[in-house]
Amino acid sequence: MALIRHILKQTVTYKLFKSILVNLVDFMEVMGNITTGLFEVIKAFFRGELEWKELINQCERFGISSLPITLSIVGMTCVIIVSQIAQEMVKQGGGNFVGALVAVLIVRELGVIMSGFAIISMIGSSLASELATMRVTEQIDALYTLKVNPYGYLFLPRVLAGMLMMPPVVIISSLFGILAGALTSDLAAGLSYRVYFDSIWIGIFAKDMFVCLAKAVCFGAVIALISCAFGFHASGGAKGVGIATTRAVVWSFVAIVIIDMLFAIAFFF
Amino acid sequence: MSIEVKNLVKAFGEKKVIDDVSFKVNDGEILAIVGFSGSGKSTILKLISNLIEKDSGEIITSGGDIAFVFQYSALFDSLTVYDNIAFALHERRDLRKKYTEKQIREIVAEKLALVGLKGIENLYPSELSGGMQKRVSFARAIVTGPKVILYDEPTAGLDPIASTLIEDYILRLRNETGATSIVVTHQMSTIKRTADKVIMLYDGKIVFSGTPEELLKMDNDYTKQFVTASIEGPMKMVGA
Repeated sequence: MALIRHILKQTVTYKLFKSILVNLVDFMEVMGNITTGLFEVIKAFFRGELEWKELINQCERFGISSLPITLSIVGMTCVIIVSQIAQEMVKQGGGNFVGALVAVLIVRELGVIMSGFAIISMIGSSLASELATMRVTEQIDALYTLKVNPYGYLFLPRVLAGMLMMPPVVIISSLFGILAGALTSDLAAGLSYRVYFDSIWIGIFAKDMFVCLAKAVCFGAVIALISCAFGFHASGGAKGVGIATTRAVVWSFVAIVIIDMLFAIAFFF
Repeated sequence: MSIEVKNLVKAFGEKKVIDDVSFKVNDGEILAIVGFSGSGKSTILKLISNLIEKDSGEIITSGGDIAFVFQYSALFDSLTVYDNIAFALHERRDLRKKYTEKQIREIVAEKLALVGLKGIENLYPSELSGGMQKRVSFARAIVTGPKVILYDEPTAGLDPIASTLIEDYILRLRNETGATSIVVTHQMSTIKRTADKVIMLYDGKIVFSGTPEELLKMDNDYTKQFVTASIEGPMKMVGA
């Protein structure tokens, strides 16, 4: 019997199923941690555990400190796109629609997703490593022994800051992207600013802006929640902090792309 | 406040870290839990303070706050000494609105004075020595007037003079607050100078229970090996 078990364990099928099972268990555990975090945050909010000073600190972190990188990324993405399409569109007689195309791209998709990626790499990673360091240095245990709810003290202001600050960051970076597009279309295709800005309103509607802001709120919450959850459940010293940070970034990237897809299906399919 | 532990069991996976442990600490007493590394000493403190859940057994306390002094201080490194000590008064739901900022300032100064420190309120933990960090963590732990103080290796990593100072403060805190204390340690000086009672753990079980004097008599093989710090004896170190 032992021999049969030993032989079975060497088979590719066994190893494949084992690997799937291990990954499934890990996936369920992560989903459980994130869901627990979400419920605890909601509970802490309605129990009035929000610390306003901490919320302001986190808003500053999400909003002000992330702006240079989000502006750069969204701005440069627009320069890349416009420098490739503007000349061609003018040649084909579609110069009047360059502004519209850029605005649709930015408002519907690029502004929010690029800002999300920038926020994940800058703020999400720092949130995860901060909480993971607190975990491995027993600072989170200290919160429990001092009878302070870590979900109320750590998660709640960060998740709320994400929800509150992501929309203004997206609005500012999108405006910056549209301006960068205007400058590039002038330089690359000689398109006048007036033509560019007049065409913006051909392409975008109130619904686009509403969906964009709704996505921004969701992305802010999800990035903060996933980053906090991975940091909070870190273990194993410096290596554990690194692993938690990497996983938080990867999960956040995948999560916002999935949410983005769901929004696209729900509103534009 | 007394603490009674009855038939406590805790396992991590297959390994029983605490195996049917029972003991009692009377009101105002200091109990030292000793033993080699990995014997389950710190796990008992974490079970008493509810940081981890027990598998079975009972932990009976008569209410009131339980303070925990961590081995590496666990001070909030992004907060100043003042904010660390005042943390529970600022953030705990039941204490948040109980004190004015002026009162909190007075309480913090009083607790800092109790551990022999003053004028360091605006410094960050990284600007303090190991001994000072430990004393600040004492002050943070006692700010809510706990009835029980749990110390996890309070003198680990400190020089002999700093260790003596910490031992003095353990006694002083007991005398001034009347708190019942449990000190996890493997330093003989801490056991001799602070403890009223001692229990020794090995492999999750109590292998000695008595006074520090009885421990030093080395009447059984376990105490003899521990006191003489011998490799030979019934206790085998993991990996040795």
